[in-house]
Amino acid sequence: MTRYRLYLVLIGMFVIGVSAVMTPMVSTAYALTAEEMLADPALENRARTLSKQLRCLVCQNQSIDDSDADLAKDLRREVRSQLVQGKTDAAILADLRAKYGDFVLLAPPMAKNTLALWLAPIGFLLLGIGITLGMRRRASGAAASAISAADRAQIEALKQHRKTTSKDGQP
Amino acid sequence: MSGFRPTFFIPLIAFTVLAVIGGLALQGTLSGSRNPNQLPSVLIGKPAPDLPLPLLQNGQAELALSAYRGQAFLVNFFASWCAPCRAEAPALEQLSKQISIIGIAYKDRPQDTMKFLQQYGNPFVAIGRDDDGRAGMAWGVYGVPETYLIDASGQIKWRHAGPLTRDVITTQLLVQMAEIQ
Repeated sequence: MTRYRLYLVLIGMFVIGVSAVMTPMVSTAYALTAEEMLADPALENRARTLSKQLRCLVCQNQSIDDSDADLAKDLRREVRSQLVQGKTDAAILADLRAKYGDFVLLAPPMAKNTLALWLAPIGFLLLGIGITLGMRRRASGAAASAISAADRAQIEALKQHRKTTSKDGQP
Repeated sequence: MSGFRPTFFIPLIAFTVLAVIGGLALQGTLSGSRNPNQLPSVLIGKPAPDLPLPLLQNGQAELALSAYRGQAFLVNFFASWCAPCRAEAPALEQLSKQISIIGIAYKDRPQDTMKFLQQYGNPFVAIGRDDDGRAGMAWGVYGVPETYLIDASGQIKWRHAGPLTRDVITTQLLVQMAEIQ
């Protein structure tokens, strides 16, 4: 019984381990093909980093590094050809932004129209901290005075009532 | 029995406010006036990219948009492999009576483009070849068909991604054309 269970755990661990190792291999093998890659590993590295920041405009929720769409392939090639020309990462991102707009960047840039987007999480965090502190203060402060005089009188009356009933020998 | 507690209503009020905001945001999408997949072009109001492209009929000669400056015209990215392009062919044919249309064959083989034009008609005054999609990239094309309206000064006035339907033509394109003429 215990041996059987041990086997089960080992098989489970093996499956999880294999999938953890395989997943990144599978996803990279999917979109990027060997012939697209640059010979220079440093440039290729920069190309991969850039590709992960750029949105595939056809599939919209994938980066061009992940996507197998034709346009993603074209954009990957464009990024690499600009890298080979000696352009900086910032210049390449700026160039694609000028053609496709901010939407091509997976992380929205900090700007006037995205300020609410960037600041809202901080605002909500502060709001949450405020509410929590307020509730805790009220809980500790209110505990003592929560029972009113009328409540006290009622409690006394109930206690009295119980005493008299238990004297009578009732459960 | 503790009486009226205003805090009791805070979740209700918060929910109502969020529901109203959400409803307003959805309204455009549900009524069809706004398509969230339609990306706005950042090139509106900017000069049209003028990459020299080989002409479809004569690969030696080049298509230069600057030659058409001084009049409004349309630029239509299309391909023989694109089904919506077939659907919009009659609409382009109709439009070509009112305005010059320049075609750019996007990532297509010339012989396939020729066959497509024979089959569905040729509404274009000139056709350039964008074999590798590089011109499309300069224009911010993310899928064919895409149509751009260029004004007399050579600036991009309007862009539509997807086929030109009767609705798009009457409610958007013709209005924009009337504005610049």
